[in-house]
Order: sequence, then C-alpha cells, then structure tokens
Amino acid sequence: MAHVDELDAIEMPDGFVWRPVRRRFGIKAFGTNAYTPGASGQIVEAHTENTLGHEEIYLVLRGRVRFTVGDDEHELGPGQLVYVRDPSLRRAGVALTDDAAVLAVGGKPGEPHDVSAWEYTFAASPYLRSGNFDEARRVLHEGLEAKPGSPPILYDLACVEALAGETDKALELLNESVAAEGRFGEYAQTDDDLASVRDDPRFPPL
Amino acid sequence: MSEGYEILTLDEAETAPHRESTTLIPVRHLLGFRPAGVNAWKADTGGQLMPPHEEDSGNEELYVVVSGRATFTVGDETADAPAGTLVFVPPQVHRSAVAAEDGTIVFVVGGSVGQAFEAGGWDSFTLADAYRQSGRVEEGQKIMEQLIAEKPDYWPVHYNAGCFEALAGNKDEAFTHLRRAKELDADGDTTPYFREDTDLDSLRDDPRFQEFV
Repeated sequence: MAHVDELDAIEMPDGFVWRPVRRRFGIKAFGTNAYTPGASGQIVEAHTENTLGHEEIYLVLRGRVRFTVGDDEHELGPGQLVYVRDPSLRRAGVALTDDAAVLAVGGKPGEPHDVSAWEYTFAASPYLRSGNFDEARRVLHEGLEAKPGSPPILYDLACVEALAGETDKALELLNESVAAEGRFGEYAQTDDDLASVRDDPRFPPL
Repeated sequence: MSEGYEILTLDEAETAPHRESTTLIPVRHLLGFRPAGVNAWKADTGGQLMPPHEEDSGNEELYVVVSGRATFTVGDETADAPAGTLVFVPPQVHRSAVAAEDGTIVFVVGGSVGQAFEAGGWDSFTLADAYRQSGRVEEGQKIMEQLIAEKPDYWPVHYNAGCFEALAGNKDEAFTHLRRAKELDADGDTTPYFREDTDLDSLRDDPRFQEFV
C-alpha cells in the first residue's frame, strides 16, 4: 500500500514525472503506472501506442489535466478518465494544476501482460543522466533478463557503455539493437549519448 | 466523440447493486476495455465498497482510492486509505474496504499473471440483473447476448447468461445457456457453481438440472 505521493518520482527528459506502480508492487498481470507533472507541466507524454498495440486508460486522481487525443482536447478532473482504444491515436496530457496526478492502465488485448521495455529504460534514465553507470547497467540488465534481446534496452545499454567509455561494448550492443529494430539506427545518428563512438568504423550506417 | 476513445466520469456513470450491500460502477462493461479487468465501487460513510473476498491463485488486484476515504482490511491488517492511495493485494489474500467518507469511490484493476485477460462478465451480469430487477428484462438480455457475441467459446459468459435467465424465470433459455457452459468447460470448473450458486435455485427442482450435478 502506498499513496501516490509516496511512489518514486522519476523526472523524464520530456518533462513529466513517472511514478512507477507496477514496479513498486511487483505486479505481473497488467501494466499500470502513475504520473505527476514535471517543470513543464507535461503529465502524460505525447505518444501513440503503435509499437505496443496497447489500449490505455488515463484516470485523473487529483487536480485538473488537459488531455489531447487525436485532434480533440478534453479538460478532466478527479474521477474522470479517458479510455484510448485506438493505439494509433496520439495522446498527451498537460497538468492545469500543480497537484495533478494521473493513473494509467494499459495492455494489449488478447495477450498475457508483457512488461514493457520502457519501464526499464525509464528506470535507468536518471542513473544514465547522473553518470551512475553501474546502477544504470544493473537496471538495464534486469530488463534484459526479463526481456532477452529487447532492442530498446540494448540501445540504452549501448548509450551507457558509450558514456562510460566502453567503446567496444557500446558498438556491439548498438549493432545488436539496430539489427533487431532498424529505427534505432536512425536514433543513433543524432543521439548525444553516442557521440564518443560515432566516428568508429563499426558504427552502424544509416 | 471520436470512435477511437471515450471519456467517463466515474461519479456520473451508471451503477448497479452487487450482492445487496455494494454498488458497482461497471467500468469495463461501459467502456469495452479489453486488456484487464477494470471496475469501480462506490459507497457512503460506513458502506461496504467491494465485497469482502479472496482472489484465486494468480489473480492480482490493485485498488486505487479515487475520491473520499476508505478503510482497507488486507489479511490481518487494517489501514486508513485517503484519496490517492494505491492498495495492491496479491492472490489468495482476503480483502475488504469500507467507506470512511460519503461519496467514496475505489477504482480496481485486476488480471491473471501470464494469462490474457478474458471478461467472464460477472460485471456485465451485475448490470443486466439490475435491469431485470427494475423490469427492463430485454435490456438485460441484450447485455448478456453482447457478452456472448464477444467471447462465444468462453464458458463463463454462457454460465452468467444462464444465471440471468434463471433469475428471470426463463427456464428453457437458462438450460440452453448452462448446457453450452458445461460443454465448453473442459476442466470441470463449473461443478462447484452448479452445486452452490443460489442464482440457479429456481432450476434445482427441475428434472433437467440433474445433468449438472
């Protein structure tokens, strides 16, 4: 049992604060997380669910939030939810009050819940930003154990190794991730985390 | 409102009495959400929120106090849970909650570890049965038909439709649904329900009931 304010608060680069719920309780049956606003007021990251095919519910627990779903805007208060059935609809939320909190529930219909790779890359993010590479590695390796060969986790691990000066490891991981999912080759071209390895001949070409 | 999404205000959503002392907001049914079980319970001060129960092995549930305040009892422990509190209850642990303020709403998410969520429709049945009790039998039947259309090979939906018809006094329809449930139930999971479910009491003296016990 925990109050939403007692959950970990992990500020993400896009300006929202991730409050891990599934990780906190060790829930395996479904995906669920909470969010509070970061400095920018963003509370739900602008995104689609095209990659994962998830249906999602966003329930406002406190405060007011302006949701954008596709081309529509809705201002919701406590006890109101938006259910986004169509994974291709772009959705985002901006907090209209500082105390806003949102609970998200999601998953892919007809399939057992599979923990999303982003939960590991998000959890590693603050360690990666602060240069705590050992802790970042620990979280990402935990992710690879749960999701062997996951391209986004391999990619983030490549970033950690590049930042840590482990060029060989970084390039090996990066090539593994790009081979599995081409879009990471595109991200790699402009990702500052990979600057130290970009001139290496082994760096994956676009 | 677009086809691809829906807005719901829990406090204004349709409710249905469940097991006499609780009030269900049948969120999953109202939205058609498919990845997990989602519902909400509503009560005033002193009122029972969800019915006290345990979940079967593998069924995880997360309760979230959306408004008001609740007193949760999980296993042997009792705790005050103001709005914004999340209570995770592992399988096979007894849980109950009572509202400590008027207008308390608790949202719940549930699912089985390693299994795709399938709606057995107890929540849809609860709403359908509320319709039946207020004389709107045909509307209740439509809910149960819709549930069967979504999961035609899943025994619980036929079983729940059988319960609905038994309570409505439609014995022939009830037996048709219950037979289908029994056919689809390869593991014999229906056996204790046929033996004990009071929803089927109107059928127990009928000779046709012998095939179920």
